[in-house]
Amino acid sequence: MSKSSKPGIKIPVKNGIEQTVRTLLNKALGHSIDALLMPVKVPSKDSYAWILMQDSDVVNDASPMAAGMPVQGAKALKSLTRKGGGSLRVAALMRPCEVRAAIELVKLNQINLENVVLISYDCPGALPLSELSDNFEAAEKKFKVLLSSRCFDSPDVKPVCQFCTGFSMGAADIHIGLADGDTGHLLLISGSPKGKAFLSAAGLNVDEDLSAYKKQVDLILKKKTQKTKEIFQAVQPMVEGLENLAETFSNCIGCHNCQSACPICYCRQCYFDSKESKLEPAYYMEKAEKRGGVSFPHDRVLFHVGRMSHMSLSCVSCGQCTDACPVSIPVAKVFSYVASQTQQAFEYSAGKSVSEAIPLKEFKEDELQKIHEIVKSAESQESPHE
Amino acid sequence: MNKILITDQGAEQSVVEVLRFLLDNKKVGGVLTLRQTSKKGSLDYGLLTRSEELDRAVPLMPVMPANAAQILSSLTPAKKPIAAVVKPCELRGFVERIKREQGSLDNVLTISMTCGGVIPLDISIKTSKNKLTPKYYEQVKAGEIPENIRPTCKTCEHFVPMTADITISVVGEKGLDSTCRFILNSDKAASMTEGFGRIEDGGLDTKVLDDHLKKRQTKNKNLLESLKSQLDGLDGLVDIFGKCIGCHGCSRVCPICYCVLCDFESRSFDQNVTFYEEELTQKGALRLPPDTLFFHLGRLSHMSFSCVGCGQCADVCPADIPVASVFKKIGENTAALFDYVPGRDVEEDIPVMVFKEEEFKELGE
Amino acid sequence: MKKVGVYICECGPNIADNVDIERILASVSSMEESEGIEIVAKPYKLLCSGEGQEYLKEEIETNQLTHLVIGACSPRDHNSTFINVCKQTRLNPYLYKLINIREHCAWIVHDKEKATDKAIQYIRGGIRRVLYQSELHEKKLDINPDVLVIGGGIAGIEAALCLAGPERRVFLVEKSDKLGGKAAEWGSLLPRQAGGVKAIQDKIGQTEANTGIQVITKTRVNNIIGFLGNFEAELCQVDDPETTTDLTVGAIVVATGFRLNEVSSLPEFKSADSDEVYTTLDVERMLKEKGQVALQTGEKPKSVALIFCAGREKVGYCSQICCSTTIKIARQIKEQNPETAVKCFIRDLCLPHKDDQAFYQQARDLGVEFVRVQTVKSDGVGVHYTCMDQSNGTEKFDMVILAPAMEPAEGTTELSEILGIPLHETGFYEEAHQTINPVATATDGIFVAGTARGPGGVTATLNQAQAVAGKIMVQLIPGEQIVPEVKVSEILEAFCMGCKTCLDVCHYGAIVFDEDKGISVVKEAVCRGCGNCVGSCPSGAIQLKHFTKPQLYQEVIEALR
Repeated sequence: MSKSSKPGIKIPVKNGIEQTVRTLLNKALGHSIDALLMPVKVPSKDSYAWILMQDSDVVNDASPMAAGMPVQGAKALKSLTRKGGGSLRVAALMRPCEVRAAIELVKLNQINLENVVLISYDCPGALPLSELSDNFEAAEKKFKVLLSSRCFDSPDVKPVCQFCTGFSMGAADIHIGLADGDTGHLLLISGSPKGKAFLSAAGLNVDEDLSAYKKQVDLILKKKTQKTKEIFQAVQPMVEGLENLAETFSNCIGCHNCQSACPICYCRQCYFDSKESKLEPAYYMEKAEKRGGVSFPHDRVLFHVGRMSHMSLSCVSCGQCTDACPVSIPVAKVFSYVASQTQQAFEYSAGKSVSEAIPLKEFKEDELQKIHEIVKSAESQESPHE
Repeated sequence: MNKILITDQGAEQSVVEVLRFLLDNKKVGGVLTLRQTSKKGSLDYGLLTRSEELDRAVPLMPVMPANAAQILSSLTPAKKPIAAVVKPCELRGFVERIKREQGSLDNVLTISMTCGGVIPLDISIKTSKNKLTPKYYEQVKAGEIPENIRPTCKTCEHFVPMTADITISVVGEKGLDSTCRFILNSDKAASMTEGFGRIEDGGLDTKVLDDHLKKRQTKNKNLLESLKSQLDGLDGLVDIFGKCIGCHGCSRVCPICYCVLCDFESRSFDQNVTFYEEELTQKGALRLPPDTLFFHLGRLSHMSFSCVGCGQCADVCPADIPVASVFKKIGENTAALFDYVPGRDVEEDIPVMVFKEEEFKELGE
Repeated sequence: MKKVGVYICECGPNIADNVDIERILASVSSMEESEGIEIVAKPYKLLCSGEGQEYLKEEIETNQLTHLVIGACSPRDHNSTFINVCKQTRLNPYLYKLINIREHCAWIVHDKEKATDKAIQYIRGGIRRVLYQSELHEKKLDINPDVLVIGGGIAGIEAALCLAGPERRVFLVEKSDKLGGKAAEWGSLLPRQAGGVKAIQDKIGQTEANTGIQVITKTRVNNIIGFLGNFEAELCQVDDPETTTDLTVGAIVVATGFRLNEVSSLPEFKSADSDEVYTTLDVERMLKEKGQVALQTGEKPKSVALIFCAGREKVGYCSQICCSTTIKIARQIKEQNPETAVKCFIRDLCLPHKDDQAFYQQARDLGVEFVRVQTVKSDGVGVHYTCMDQSNGTEKFDMVILAPAMEPAEGTTELSEILGIPLHETGFYEEAHQTINPVATATDGIFVAGTARGPGGVTATLNQAQAVAGKIMVQLIPGEQIVPEVKVSEILEAFCMGCKTCLDVCHYGAIVFDEDKGISVVKEAVCRGCGNCVGSCPSGAIQLKHFTKPQLYQEVIEALR
């Protein structure tokens, strides 16, 4: 949050939330901002794509708050700035989880935010991609209702969205607050000097304090936290022990869609696609002889556990993995649960701040006390004669 | 006239018994076939080396969790003989891979069937196995095209295996529940199954299959027509592939796409921000990540003439794009220019690898 | 066709008595068929002996071996022996592997059957691994004999004077504007008191006159990468960090000295920055400048308190020289002003040198008072103390002199990170081995001398500086060549995404970032082959040569078969 205790400013909603946002951004285009990155409906009008735009006509066609998330916004930002920030000043309008993913990718040197203003909004959640594919118009309509009625507990959004405690303001430069229930206004909040500058260039000088807004956000968070608890309790038996894990992923066909869709998985070639992870033909036969049979894809569970060990610390629970899975495995729920555990162990919160180093990259002499305690208590329970 | 093996059991059971025979009599070290695993009955390909493992085998299940061509590549060159029960397109896919040095048929006994088509993954996941197949087989036995199979299966004209050692007769076989006919196409097939059971002279019922082929051909023609209007120029392609999220799952599950690192994922396509800024200035708007359609065009140019129309790509597409139909049609048309049929013959060279001085004269003119 | 020679050493009775070598050979030979290779498998009495080595050479040539596996003792004993054997033949030494069946099997598994089983697993694993190994080619590098000395105090000066010569330049970098450091500020040096100061001034003069030494003042070190014989240093000016210079040298001497503990910030010495409260360094300067100790008014003090071990509990170690220095100051004050009451508040006395005991006794004879205390505090010029018998005392003095602890110089933490060498828990540089290798550091080619490595006096500092010079002269002989490590990491450009995770976990500074290509690159010259980077890369874009994943997997798979 900005240092100022009054970082907000309310603007009236004119012709709906999205149009209000379009108007605001169009005004800034060409002045404090050279280009905008927002979802726009594809030509066949049945999905969204990220478009970097300078043309105000395109802005008027954009869907700032898209019903679904076919492509994670951080991925779009990554393809633009991976090799360094450009000269164009870009404002990117994204969901909070997309902002979190972007923050993580900054730390992994895959995104450069130098000339980028990140704008997020209180997110009601995203509808599953399959719903958009089945009937896009209906999905779009449904979402618009969620947005205009400021509904944050819809059971129709993706499962990960239902328990998302990061639905509100995070590390974005500007956040559009919708949760305070004031349907006649949008609460624009500056989250950084960059954000403040953007707002003042648009003639908006912050002067509202956020106490009323925060109260509403907290009420919603309470419910979401409860939901998280319930869902994680149900997920726990799905992952504890190799047998349960194998059962959970038994339908997996090894298409690696989850890895491709994940914004955090940045490897050009996933280790599990590399030549090294493939073994000689004779090896599979040998293994089959030892066990009676061997299944394909080989290393089905290892792929998922390996992916968890590589990206769990940065998982932002955006749910792209489940959207992409062709055999309906609840990948996002499982990975979110594991991620919450691993991040907790390092007292790390993915996507919260660029200055919080990813635990793998940092050495601290005193850490993982919890694990020390677990080991100690396990050792003390061992029989001395064993 | 071929030799055929006839059993007095239902088809699925018969195939299992043949596999059991091969294992028990050490004719092969292992068999590759579909089987049910896990508590929820998930389906996957397994390389089985012991008889007992065959108890959960479902060799003829009309579902394709993965294209077996990829699996056969990783199992060959096989030091010990193996038998593999695969669908015709999977076998053709494997033959195409062999032409690209990605495997070998040595020591592999290929068992395939006249294929009634494959049920899409999302349906097979949601339906219990005993509910999945009754209606399907009803139609297959009657020589009809089942309703709930992949679009590419409905239009597939190559449902009779081309290079298999053994062909199991399924399509149009009214007595499938109580008898099974295995057509032994090679000496290898005959010698390996010697001692299993009743051998007679015979072959596939060409009339039944021709009738069925006609139905498929009609559907294929209709598909071409419908796609033609959809694929009209660049706009049409943009319409179809506009929803693509760039996951490249289609490429990863494709039996033909064998590249360890796809060019479209390599450094070749890593752009500097100045590139984007220039594009943006020229066009006013730019899609990110870029090259959505380019990827598909590139893949088409790299593998379409080897496309076997298995439909695995469309099954995994999270955006429900009819990739398989597009690739199959374009592939067929491209291959036809060279009189080429992918997977027909392992000795037949891939068109791109062959230079003929006299070809495409009409283009020259 | 690959042809693997497998030689099992009997090692006298060590191996022969405890494993069934014949059975190992039989099992190894059976790998011919399954692996499609040729195997020559033989036993031998003692492979490390002269005859054994000749035998191996002959076997390699006669059988035209393409790979070599030896089952014998620990690589720590004879890996280099057999590498040398390979180097004398056509066989690349990286296509060979020594499997330890002595320490790992024969010596620890007491059942002969089981020991043989284990040895078979290990050797078969080794054979499999060797088939995946690649030739690696060592390169020879001309060493750079020049030396970078960081710090222009007495340690740096001494090292520079010893090292500089016609074939070896010394770059003496000093962050202040003059040479001499703390020692040059001393009024007098023990034990002869006056003569030592001139000696130091002479050394400074010699250094400045020596054409083999380039003195670079007002400069500090920004970055160092490299290894013994081949370091690259980036220097920058203290008041203009943007102006940098690059140097290449073969060795680095850290002689950055010490600073005194900020005793005025300790709660037990209140108002320590008030008038007439001095540190020993203040008094040394005063003595050097004025020749005598006087109050601010210019008058001589009638009573002086000297508080020893000021702040010792806080730093947690003895600073070795302050006792003798403070006694020296006490004596000087008493000698100059016999009427002045000079009282020393001591804890333990540290008098390690030959003359120290006598020196102390003479001070007592002169009338310097020594009071042994349990605790001592000061408040301006008032001193409060508790004696060993628990009695308390409070006295006011004209002057109070505190003897603070020695601490590592400012910037030690930053410099240690730049150099990549560890610090001891006290904050001083850590020696390679405190007892037997006290002037080297964890990094070959980087040495430390003087108070940068811990408290000590001028004598100790000069000793260490000379020792460092000696070590460098032996290790960096001008005109010689070194062979850098070849078992280093390698990053595949095609797969690197430039996330810098490997860079962040490399503690040797061996990975740098190529901004143009956006990838990380291994500086082979600096890499130590620890493999941290390999573990950290999620994509597997980094491999450690001679320890690639396929090599390790195949060894384990075969061993567990």
